[in-house]
Amino acid sequence: MMPLLLAVDLLEPLRQGFVIQVLILAGLIGVVCAVLSCYLVLKGWALMGDAISHAVLPGIILAYVLGIPLTIGAFASGMLCAVGTGWIKARSRIKEDTVMGIVFTGLFALGLILMSRVASDVHFDQIIRGSLLGIHKSDMIQVYITSAVTLGVVLLKRKDLMLLCFDQAQAKSVGLNTTFLYYLLLTLLAATTVAALQAVGIILTVAMLITPGSIAFMWTSRFDRMLLIASSTAVVAAVVGTYISYFFDGSAAGFIVLMQSLFFIITIVFAPKHGLIARRRTLKAALDQI
Amino acid sequence: MIDQLLIPFTYEYMVNAMLVSALVGGVCACLSCFVMLKGWSLLGDGLSHAVVPGVAVAYKLGWPFAIGAYIAGMTAAMGMSYLRSITRIRQDAIIGVVYTTWFAAGLVFLSIYPASVKIKNIVFGNLLLIAPFDIRQMVVVSIVALGVLLLKWKDLRLYCFDPSHARTIGLNTWALEATLLVLMAGVAIAALQAVGAALVMAMLITPGATAYLLTDRFGRMMILAAAMGAITSALGAYASYYLNGSAGGTIVVLQTLVFLVTLVFAPRHGILAGKARAKAAAEDLLARLNRESFTQEAAR
Repeated sequence: MMPLLLAVDLLEPLRQGFVIQVLILAGLIGVVCAVLSCYLVLKGWALMGDAISHAVLPGIILAYVLGIPLTIGAFASGMLCAVGTGWIKARSRIKEDTVMGIVFTGLFALGLILMSRVASDVHFDQIIRGSLLGIHKSDMIQVYITSAVTLGVVLLKRKDLMLLCFDQAQAKSVGLNTTFLYYLLLTLLAATTVAALQAVGIILTVAMLITPGSIAFMWTSRFDRMLLIASSTAVVAAVVGTYISYFFDGSAAGFIVLMQSLFFIITIVFAPKHGLIARRRTLKAALDQI
Repeated sequence: MIDQLLIPFTYEYMVNAMLVSALVGGVCACLSCFVMLKGWSLLGDGLSHAVVPGVAVAYKLGWPFAIGAYIAGMTAAMGMSYLRSITRIRQDAIIGVVYTTWFAAGLVFLSIYPASVKIKNIVFGNLLLIAPFDIRQMVVVSIVALGVLLLKWKDLRLYCFDPSHARTIGLNTWALEATLLVLMAGVAIAALQAVGAALVMAMLITPGATAYLLTDRFGRMMILAAAMGAITSALGAYASYYLNGSAGGTIVVLQTLVFLVTLVFAPRHGILAGKARAKAAAEDLLARLNRESFTQEAAR
């Protein structure tokens, strides 16, 4: 009797229509972010997701004041952050990550001041933190469209973007338009971040744009495989995380990130070649030979 | 008019807030010079977000908020430096993975035990609602950090500029890195209570970057950064009296504005100076070409 009862309980979430929808949504966002994260990890842009997801705040509030769709404001101020960073970096002797930090914290602070001046019935911090289970129908459609477009463009330009991230000078010398690719990647990133933000919140967006790529980078040195590994870990983490959160009645975003971190820890220990165990074995073999 | 501007000074808590934020802002600014040189920009952000689980658990257990924050911050910092030493992943990605993990753990804890602490206060900070105990603890942490920096600043400077040289002359570089990390975690948490997690990062990079545009000498850079950090922080706290308490936002917007002005007008490394230099070089080249063609013609 006991096992049967357990099985019934475990299947319960799958009978709830909204849980299935959330699972699909979380999985989809996971895949798109994971694909982008492979590029970001290689390019050293781990901070970029962090930066854009904070920088959207003033745009969201201005859009609210002006009465235009919040997404447009968010996208505009996200792009302003990305482009502003590039502009300042090209004209000063300060490192890119520092410039990025200055620009996005400045924008976020501006957003905080605006927020304290604008009295409204919209809970902006709710937008920033996101809510997987309470997501709006129109937001959901927007996530689907953004994800499909982003995935399509990345798959089409896969090789070019990869070359851009590995070796910009080489990309330029084989005749690629690196400026165009640079801004293409930024635009895709900003669009994805804005879409993901409303569904899953800042912190999960940031994690999803870093962790899957880092995991995949430990498992393989081939880029196509890296894309596959990153997206599949992201999907599994999204599904399992959402599923667990249903039982614990806790934050879905939090559990998804923790699942990804668990995969990351497993990877660090067990990854072939670059994992702890493999490295120890190589070291031992080398010592034995001596 | 002047009477109105002086109102904040008549409240003791406003004066305290201004003094504390000037102190914390100044110490953050000193550290930001080292952060600039080491390229640790993301670290301030990571450490300040990583405290969330510690704070949540401390509230649940009835401990002081700061103890949980320091434990969580330190474990995150140690986790980052351990992972960096055993994997081939870039440092920025490691910091990102670790801090999002810590933050997510905090989020999950808060969602299961709700109302234990308002996450909003951790993320956004509130300078004007700080308890007296927290003020004392922020002051102590800042003064200790400042003292350590002043005592060890030559060693730390050498370590930041050239770690291998520091090692060859017999400095313990591992201890220096650990010192800097611990100082950063401590100061980040002190600042966090004033300006909030999202803005600590600005206090730990913007003053250093601004000073870096103004001078090439490290001692001067520290003084400039500290002055800028202290003044903007005090001003921000003052302005927050009129701005409904978003002191953190005001402080960071002020710092960003100072940075932008410096970026354009800095005497040697500013954009205008760069343009003027380029123009002078172009004119110089033109004049030389003219002269050469003139002598060639004369020779003919």
